[in-house]
Amino acid sequence: MERSEAAARVAEAVHDLASDVVSALKGGDHSSARNGTAGTEDDGPWLAAVRMLGPDLLLPALVHGRPPHPQDVAACRRAADTFPPRAGSSPVTVWSHWALTRMSDHLDARPVVFEAPAEFPAGHGPDHDAGPDHGAGADGARDAWPAAVPWQQFTHQLALLAPLAVPGDTATAAACGHAVLAESAVARAARQRPVDLARGFVRAVRRRDWLQAAAAGRWLAVVDDVPKTLGLDSGLDFVLLMGGSDPRVDLHVHAAQHFRAIRSAGAGREDATGVRA
Amino acid sequence: MTAAVPDRELGAQTAGPAGEGPRPPAGDTARPLTGVAPPPTGGASPLTGGAPRPSAAPQAVEVARTALDWVYDHLPCFALPEDVLAPDVLVDRTWKPLGELAQLGDGIRRHTTSGPARRRAAELLEFAWGQTRRGSLLLEQLRAEPMSTYPLEIYAAFRSAGFRHPAFEELARTLARTRSWAHTEQDPTRRLGILNAEHRTGLPLHAPPLTALHRTWLGSLPEPWMFERSAGYALTHVVFHLTDWGNAPHRMPPRLARYLHHWLPAWLDSCLEEELWDLAGELLAVAASLPTPVPARTVEPAWARLAAAQDTAGGLCEVGPSRRDDTAEPGFVHCYHSTLVAAYAATLTAARLYGVPPVPLTATVLPGPETAPPGDAP
Repeated sequence: MERSEAAARVAEAVHDLASDVVSALKGGDHSSARNGTAGTEDDGPWLAAVRMLGPDLLLPALVHGRPPHPQDVAACRRAADTFPPRAGSSPVTVWSHWALTRMSDHLDARPVVFEAPAEFPAGHGPDHDAGPDHGAGADGARDAWPAAVPWQQFTHQLALLAPLAVPGDTATAAACGHAVLAESAVARAARQRPVDLARGFVRAVRRRDWLQAAAAGRWLAVVDDVPKTLGLDSGLDFVLLMGGSDPRVDLHVHAAQHFRAIRSAGAGREDATGVRA
Repeated sequence: MTAAVPDRELGAQTAGPAGEGPRPPAGDTARPLTGVAPPPTGGASPLTGGAPRPSAAPQAVEVARTALDWVYDHLPCFALPEDVLAPDVLVDRTWKPLGELAQLGDGIRRHTTSGPARRRAAELLEFAWGQTRRGSLLLEQLRAEPMSTYPLEIYAAFRSAGFRHPAFEELARTLARTRSWAHTEQDPTRRLGILNAEHRTGLPLHAPPLTALHRTWLGSLPEPWMFERSAGYALTHVVFHLTDWGNAPHRMPPRLARYLHHWLPAWLDSCLEEELWDLAGELLAVAASLPTPVPARTVEPAWARLAAAQDTAGGLCEVGPSRRDDTAEPGFVHCYHSTLVAAYAATLTAARLYGVPPVPLTATVLPGPETAPPGDAP
């Protein structure tokens, strides 16, 4: 009973925190963690929620093009330290922790300067730094990463790692550290299988799994070569209206729509037939 | 009596070469969700009776054999009642199953080069043609309902299989010349089926097939996440009519083929999860009807699922849990269509994916595509 009550408190905290992030995304609030009570004894569920939302706590900074709030960075750092992956943790757990740690490291390491780096910080990810392949408790993570799984499972696992779905080719992304996520092996795998991800989106909508659909749609917003007949823009609108009462759905769809807008800026999105990407 | 036959299985057939298909879509790395036993090596196919092949489709071949056994064992259930011409007889319980037997039996025979399966398919067709009193009852039905299209749709299946009734064709030709016939109010998918029936029967087409195609749900290249059951049946029949039941895959516009390659795996997954065996079987027939068939790694697990859903006699219910351990017969009406479809789709899969050539009966094809549907290129 205690266990289920604790799970319910965490779920409630995730709901509240996701709502805060959505509010910050839409309203321009400076901090996502506006209700954060860092340091108090009673913030366990809230901290667990930060661990679950991961780098999305810093997403408003990316969207609004400004430095992340120090309070949010600190929360990410504390959540990563409090909930490290254990031996035998799933690849999803290991990768989500890697992302949170990597973002915190990036932002702690130096003052954030909002200029494009002279050189794109290529090579980030498990092959090149203290990521899942080398981190404590992550033995076998490389082997376990499902690069060759069926498209259904591929979409399911990527959906759980949707906070890693960010565009990496903007100055803001580089400054905020999001470019690190975009260069991860997870993001590379996503870029290699756009059709499989699109099928996963279709499957999730058919199953009325709006959270997975929104997360898959977010990945589709940051990869190329998605079949135009998918109708991603309409699909995102549909998923939002059907499942938007869950703030996590709202968060992913809002992120996806923002990413599509910035990626399509300056590029002709409509082809001659009117079928949109 | 009205033309109450739903647009399922009443269609057409001619043979043609398999056209060059599109390349597999970029990023398409679909793999089976569940494993299947590796194919045996070197065994002669029980379906084709041909030479030993290095690769075989064990599940599809087995489903083709067992489902055809079931159909053969239930032939009397397809018989027309004595009063089939009476105005109150239900077409869906009489002419429709018989027409489907003719249609899918013809498909099985065409894609089976030799062996017991081909002989059985020929027997099915003889039985069905005999039920129509070698076409006479179809003529009587057309005389009773000159406005109805289903007698021609059924006749076209027999015509495709090589049976003819000159007096029926004479009346049909006269009716098909009328403005009334050309403007019969119908679903776009059904209209495509009638065009193929006209083609099979040697009648002038009352409209361009590609114009009819563009008015269908599938022809619009719709958002694939809007797929549901009735849309699924519409799309499978568009493909059946357009490709003449898998005999003329080259008729399919490349963009439509690419679209189907993209989205069929997702729809098939959905139908299997929902235990919609009948629609899953039709989607598998579509998968084998594309210019380049959907690859084995995608369809083999689906065939394993369908095989597991068959009852011990080879029957397959339209929907619902496997009846493998159920001794009670589910009833002819609940499984004849899905079992026929399974036999046909499995035969087509074996032929297209594993190299068994179709039997060419006629070489004519519908007019080629002049325009293509909206783009699907990434």
